[in-house]
Amino acid sequence: MNLPEDFVFSPSSLQDYVDCPRRFQLKYLQRQRWPAAEVDEMLEFEKRMEQGQRFHQLVHQHLLGIPADTLTKHISDESVRQWFETYLKNGLTDMPKTRFPERTLTIPLGKYALLAKFDVVAIGDKAIIIDWKTSRKIPRREWLAKKLQTIVYRYVLAKGGSHLNKGQTIEPEQIEMRYWYAEHDGATLSFTYDKEQFATHEANLLHLVDEIDSRPDFPLTEDMPRCRFCTYRSLCDRGTQAGSLVDWDTMDTDDVDLADFEIDIDQIAEIEF
Amino acid sequence: MRLLKDQQRVAKEHFDTTIFLEGIAGTGKTTAAIERVKQLIRSGVATDSILVLVPQAALAIPYREALRRSRVATGGDIHTATIGSLAYQMVDLFFPLIADDIGFENPLDRPHFLSLELVQYYMTRFVEPEIEAHDYFNSVTISRSRLYTQIVDNLNKAALVRFDPQTIAERLKSAWRGDVEQGYIYDDAQISANLFREMCVRNNMLDFSLQVTLFVEFLWKLEQPRRYLMQQYKHLIVDNIEEDTPATHDILRDWLPHCESALLIYDSESGYRRFLGADPVDAYQLKKLCQTHIKLTKHRVMSSDIQAFQSEMARSLNQPAPKSPKNSDAREAIVYADNRYHPQMIDWAAENIASLVHSEGVNPAEIVVLAPYLPDALRFALQTRLNEHSVPNRSHRPSRALREEPAARTLLTLAKIAHPQWNIPASKYDIAYALTASIAQFDLVRARLLVDIVYRNRQLHPFEQISNEKVQERITFDLGNRYEQLRQWVDAYIQDEPLPLDAFFSKLFGEILSQPSFGFHDRYEAANTAANLIDSARRFRQTVNKIEPHLDTSPEYVAMVDKGVIANLYIRDWQLEKRDSVLIAPAYTFLLSNQPVEYQFWLNVGSSGWAQRVNQPLTHPYVLSRQWTEGRRWEDADEVAVNQETLANLALGLIRRCRKKVYLGFSEFGEQGYEQRGTLLMAVHSMLRRLRREEEHV
Ligand code: SF4
Repeated sequence: MNLPEDFVFSPSSLQDYVDCPRRFQLKYLQRQRWPAAEVDEMLEFEKRMEQGQRFHQLVHQHLLGIPADTLTKHISDESVRQWFETYLKNGLTDMPKTRFPERTLTIPLGKYALLAKFDVVAIGDKAIIIDWKTSRKIPRREWLAKKLQTIVYRYVLAKGGSHLNKGQTIEPEQIEMRYWYAEHDGATLSFTYDKEQFATHEANLLHLVDEIDSRPDFPLTEDMPRCRFCTYRSLCDRGTQAGSLVDWDTMDTDDVDLADFEIDIDQIAEIEF
Repeated sequence: MRLLKDQQRVAKEHFDTTIFLEGIAGTGKTTAAIERVKQLIRSGVATDSILVLVPQAALAIPYREALRRSRVATGGDIHTATIGSLAYQMVDLFFPLIADDIGFENPLDRPHFLSLELVQYYMTRFVEPEIEAHDYFNSVTISRSRLYTQIVDNLNKAALVRFDPQTIAERLKSAWRGDVEQGYIYDDAQISANLFREMCVRNNMLDFSLQVTLFVEFLWKLEQPRRYLMQQYKHLIVDNIEEDTPATHDILRDWLPHCESALLIYDSESGYRRFLGADPVDAYQLKKLCQTHIKLTKHRVMSSDIQAFQSEMARSLNQPAPKSPKNSDAREAIVYADNRYHPQMIDWAAENIASLVHSEGVNPAEIVVLAPYLPDALRFALQTRLNEHSVPNRSHRPSRALREEPAARTLLTLAKIAHPQWNIPASKYDIAYALTASIAQFDLVRARLLVDIVYRNRQLHPFEQISNEKVQERITFDLGNRYEQLRQWVDAYIQDEPLPLDAFFSKLFGEILSQPSFGFHDRYEAANTAANLIDSARRFRQTVNKIEPHLDTSPEYVAMVDKGVIANLYIRDWQLEKRDSVLIAPAYTFLLSNQPVEYQFWLNVGSSGWAQRVNQPLTHPYVLSRQWTEGRRWEDADEVAVNQETLANLALGLIRRCRKKVYLGFSEFGEQGYEQRGTLLMAVHSMLRRLRREEEHV
């Protein structure tokens, strides 16, 4: 068995595994840090992460009831201001009124657990999961359909979302996963769900977990271009330079994982003995 | 573990009421509480409506681990928090609601949260010049960093005990009856605290004390944030309330009537975090607000011999002594060694630990080595001996500061060479050292030889410029080649626009140092150190640049590291904890982790440190407490009483967290070569004499 008994999967760890088993091993099993650059223009990249994080926070604040004009006064970044205005215009179009911002659901997955952190889940007759995207490009629909995030979010909500729905199971047919693109005037890409997909996804996810847990080794990906944007490239002897941000922008990519960027609260609060 | 009747009441009943649960350590309070959480979830309560609130983050670990291990089908995540993390989250979310009312100079700007490292930095940067100009604290002989910690600690106490921070000195002076000098020190502490606070207000900087103040005094009084918390968390589990502060207790006073259920857990005879503002007396008053009271009295940790040891030690420390169980013998619970010199005591401990692990098959995780303080020398000596005996071990903190780790030193030295415009010189020794760490198989002798020739005018010159062929051969062309790759990389970097320091480190790490045949390749520990340094430099840049956009943070960071102000902490968050290993820790750190073990080794039993409260010349935890009566003076008798109480709580608290045996390590002469005759040692001796007498009598 490769996994510790309290291992918790997330869409990004599963995606890492599918993209490159070695990356999964280094990042989640060995928890090995490797602080090389992800892209050549590190500062621009960082700025985008900060903007993305700030936008997510504003939407969270707004959904908690802080008036939009109070929030707008505090925005200093022009891109973020525009995104927020777009959100106010159409971000919540036809969303059911019961909304849960920044919710985490964890469900059992085989012997382990699977966690999904939703930007917003809105529940009524329909159950809509919204994921706010601030990336420059809208990826291809087929690419997005295969993303573990698209699969896992709908599966987790169907499997474990009842307590958001007054104890009632949320039927797969009620669920819609919606990506909303701030940079593109709030364009959306939506994915519906049904029982058949649910059953297929469940089987695939369990199979994936089994495979991860029992495989004897974790080979390097054969998709070499992927290594340009992976910090482990020197450890794997897959190149010296980070890939360019321009190339990154032209590929089907996701927003940067904001979880990697969260501040360590204990660092602020703890007092040393 | 099977739950006893009263534990079952905690775990399985009263899901619609508030419970006050008390008992000494080891009576199974937390075990019962964890079971309660599981039962709540099984009964259909949403997992994310349960909040586990603890005084410090580590105390939530048993909850998280137990719930992860259990197969309770959860729909969400258990939330665990401290007052600090709650304050941070609430201020971060709801700051716009109070920005206009808190007197900040730039209410429309975002607040900047300060880490401990940044607090030290701003103290050094803005408060230190004032301290020096006015010769404040001229009679205080503690390090600058501890001085700043205590100035900030006073502000923290004001926030946590909820008094006006302008009255710190007044309160401290009114209780003082010694020399006038101490009064001046308190005044200086007040002025420094004011300066720091003013600076924060001017720049939207939030240290811990301001975060707590904004949360408790502002946000908690507004309907929206309060509703947010109360609606989100309907079931509270509050553990170790005796180690928490009045700010937390006050929040609970308001919250308890509105929650669906609550369990407040009070550990009797504790209060180890008093010097950080913990207030057990205030905590106990919450009992009145709870509808159900349960007391656990049956020990679930200590063997009967250990219980007898607890009773006998309580007698020797003049504390109420519980009756020893029948057929028990305190002496069976201890192993005592009288060594003459300190190194002998360390050998004795290491040998006994090795024997437990290798001969008796004890899991190393069931052993802790404790001392009142854990100076680097003691930690290092112990770790070396345990390594020699092949006993896996870990220390709560590494023996070196981040900036002293070889990988960090290397990066910092190369940064100095790559940024001649900073005018921060690197010594030849540091450069040679950096080369040995950067290039695989490069030894210090050859590196020094190389550096002596190629490092001139603060620049690295090409290998081929070495005119003496013999020297080139001695260094070898292979090493020379790799040196050239590094040098040319640095040269090319110098020609370009400089990057911020953290980005420079990342680039250097990724493009050269971690490449095959360079020093960080395959060296996972070095990569972790580099990652920690990069995090530290990045956080520094991100925060400082928002406050002072025009400051070049890179040389500032390096200068502050050289000065010892930052990069002192080594946060090993990403590394796998060596779980199955012997823990070496200061006694209080172990106590506050609240996890019992089978075997404890107490070292330096003769040290007076066991019976002394932490030396805090700028502050006073008892005077700045809510329990202090205005106008009262702190007398010598108070000090004696507190020291006695400190020792009793510490020693008995440790014993209650031990299942099988306590090894008492003593050396006649301490680390510094002085004779050791502290109060704990006296108590142990008196206990042994008494037991011997009683035996002879029988
Ligand atoms: S560098 Fe390439 S092979 Fe190595 S972990 Fe990253 S993606 Fe996988």
